[in-house]
Amino acid sequence: MVHALREAHRVLKPNGILIDLRPALVHRRVGIERAGRFRQLGRMYESLDDDRAANRSVASVLRAGLFRAEWHTRFSCRRVMDSLSDFRTFIDEFVALGTDLPPHDRLIHRVQRALETTGSTKKIVVRGPLTMNVLRKRDVAALEGGSHGFGL
Amino acid sequence: MGIRIDPEQNEVRALERVTNWRRERVVEIGCGDGRLTLRLARLGAFVHAIDPDAKLIRTARRNLPSRFAKRIRYHVGQAEHLNHANESFDLVVFAWAL
Repeated sequence: MVHALREAHRVLKPNGILIDLRPALVHRRVGIERAGRFRQLGRMYESLDDDRAANRSVASVLRAGLFRAEWHTRFSCRRVMDSLSDFRTFIDEFVALGTDLPPHDRLIHRVQRALETTGSTKKIVVRGPLTMNVLRKRDVAALEGGSHGFGL
Repeated sequence: MGIRIDPEQNEVRALERVTNWRRERVVEIGCGDGRLTLRLARLGAFVHAIDPDAKLIRTARRNLPSRFAKRIRYHVGQAEHLNHANESFDLVVFAWAL
């Protein structure tokens, strides 16, 4: 990941912006939504190791002086599905991405039961916040020359 | 209807707050099927979108509306080896890719 961040630094113009957008370091909540009301059925217990590694990589390039942190925000993000097969597809895609995800049969079963008993219009919703780090490219040549006194 | 990601468009609202994207040259890393790429193009950016998965890039190309054909280029590629010149982009976006 650090290599990717260094490569991003290379292709960015002076003072360019790097945006790191990804899921926050929390397990996603799964539930049923009806008439705008969310009823949680469980959580996804995906491994968060990759996200922790990404945080370390970002910290590493900041420490190296390649970028400076400019802004950070966190906001909600929903995935909305109409059917159990959509939810299964979502879980399968998650696994296909190489995410270390334990079996979620119980959760799928809970969703299935909720869909059967809830009646009327309902949706399956997966909620998980996203984070966005905004980093600004710093001039490495200036850093190496020490002419700008970035304090590294 | 399938799976709808971020129907409230909170993601694009957050991106709008970062900069004025109009005519900016952007590399998007981890573009997948192009969901976010299209949103960046709608903001006015010129996007070189990259993903290591050739199948997803094919899907993205298939789904590219003609009105964005001049604004978006999809490539199979790796974040660690970008096939672009030094200092050639205003923004790099890692889209769920770090």
